[in-house]
Amino acid sequence: MNDNIVFGQYIYKNSIIHKIDPRTKLIMLLLIMIGTFLIPSDNFILLLIALLIPLIAVVFSKISIFKYLKSLKQIAFVMLFSFAFQLFANHQGKILISLAINFSVTNIIVAILILVLFFLIRKYLPFKMLIFLGLVILILYLFRFPMLGNAFKMTQINIYEKGLIHGSFLILRVFTIILASTTLTLTTKPTDLTNAIDWFLMPLEKIKIKTSIFTMMISIALRFIPTLFNETNKILKAQASRGVDFNEGKFIEQIKQIVSLLVPMFVISIKRAEDLADAMEARGYIPGNKRTKLVKMKLKALDYILLLATFTLFILLILLRCGVYAL
Amino acid sequence: MFIEFKDVSFKYPNNDKNVIDHLSFTLEKGSMLAILGHNGSGKSTIAKLIMGLLKATSGSIYICDTLLDEKSIDDLRQKMSIIFQNPDNQFVGVTVKDDIAFGLENHQIPRQEMLEKISKYATLVDMMAFLDANPENLSGGQKQRVAIAGALAMETELIIFDEATSMLDPKGTKEINAMIKKLKNEHNKTIITITHNLEEALFADRVMVINDGKIVLDGSPQEVLKEQTILEASGLKLIDGIAIIKEIEKTSLLSKENKEKICEALWELTFKM
Repeated sequence: MNDNIVFGQYIYKNSIIHKIDPRTKLIMLLLIMIGTFLIPSDNFILLLIALLIPLIAVVFSKISIFKYLKSLKQIAFVMLFSFAFQLFANHQGKILISLAINFSVTNIIVAILILVLFFLIRKYLPFKMLIFLGLVILILYLFRFPMLGNAFKMTQINIYEKGLIHGSFLILRVFTIILASTTLTLTTKPTDLTNAIDWFLMPLEKIKIKTSIFTMMISIALRFIPTLFNETNKILKAQASRGVDFNEGKFIEQIKQIVSLLVPMFVISIKRAEDLADAMEARGYIPGNKRTKLVKMKLKALDYILLLATFTLFILLILLRCGVYAL
Repeated sequence: MFIEFKDVSFKYPNNDKNVIDHLSFTLEKGSMLAILGHNGSGKSTIAKLIMGLLKATSGSIYICDTLLDEKSIDDLRQKMSIIFQNPDNQFVGVTVKDDIAFGLENHQIPRQEMLEKISKYATLVDMMAFLDANPENLSGGQKQRVAIAGALAMETELIIFDEATSMLDPKGTKEINAMIKKLKNEHNKTIITITHNLEEALFADRVMVINDGKIVLDGSPQEVLKEQTILEASGLKLIDGIAIIKEIEKTSLLSKENKEKICEALWELTFKM
């Protein structure tokens, strides 16, 4: 199993979070997601309250915190990029930091050397993303001083108050959503999740829409995500043993090397799909037909409390957004 | 008669050659048939034709005296189940329990009955302790035992093992063969086992050797194993005991009388093992 891939990996633990009805978890996730987008982008208190819900779930789920952090690792670059974009592109509010950047030949050479050194040894470094970020800050710091020779160009980089606030808010918002959705997938069996989706879509059956086909597709997709990542890992190792290095070479060469991964992946996936279709058909699966369910979903007292609490917070947020209350 | 093939042929689209070529045979209820053949001989195609996963190009297939066609297929499938070669490709459920339940859910078995059957058949295949485990984390033999429990839970009369041991290690193979023997002797199931391993055919009531979609040998395991030339021509590897007999027969180091005695003893031992 590829441990870096958290999405779609259900981890069995005897925890209170695992026992919550999947419908409750889905509603809560949906409300947290909508809620984080409704929170005004400078109101950190409300966002921290929203973040508190998945954080409590993480603590009570009995699953290692590292499993959750791995899911964040996947989008760390996107988060950092968005933060940097907000930081430098937003010119609202007071100037917090003003950096005079001196472009001199020496500065540029030193910066290039640092970056080249990083790319050469990055294979052996832990926390690459953090080190890279540290190096960027170091380079910016170096550019403040014109080393050997006069600066041939000078410019000013200003970091504004709103840029910093919005950037930090954006990171916290994405963090909240990712943490909440990871909690859902790590603590809910894909079959339970699809049963919950099936339950929500049930009204559509009344207008003759076969929602069970859709939920079966989701169920199989979730079931096969870890399997396919596992398969990808095997192919990567098989190709690496034949000398393919997916991290080296020019861009075009890297694209060609990815083809050597994609072709067997497609072949294997199609073969798997054919075999699975045969196995499902042989076991009496007829798309759209009525099926009984092994899992009986029943809302318990805890579910009602959680739903009531989440809905109350959500309604308060909407009222706040509408200007009824001011926090 | 449980299964009757009447002059059945099958070829894949865009292919002129018949994979199954005018095949006719019958199978009695409660008996065990081993279908032997090398890779590409057409033996798995026979399993898929019986299950209605492929449609015969010509000829007809009868299951329990009912013609297998689009109208009857859903009802007839309730009498049959199949365990495929690759256990990873046949799991639908994310836990052992969910996977055993899949067929039962399709057959609209009430929940309480479903739970009883899951418990009964998971115990039978010795997987009760793994009900909440992810099938991905099981060994090959355990995975196939889950697939067998899924098939057994549907309580079908016929179970087909389509090269169910070919991807397993010797321990897993032994486990599954013991399970097949148990089903045959204690549960009176009609069993078809498809394999290219002659040893797995020894405990069948009847052995059928397929080559190029045609039956080249059909009889009891003893009768079929005697036809070494045909078996070798069909691309099958002789089992150790038979291969030794063949070498003893060739040698000039032993007298004719001794050769006969040793071969007879080896022959007997082969079927006892």
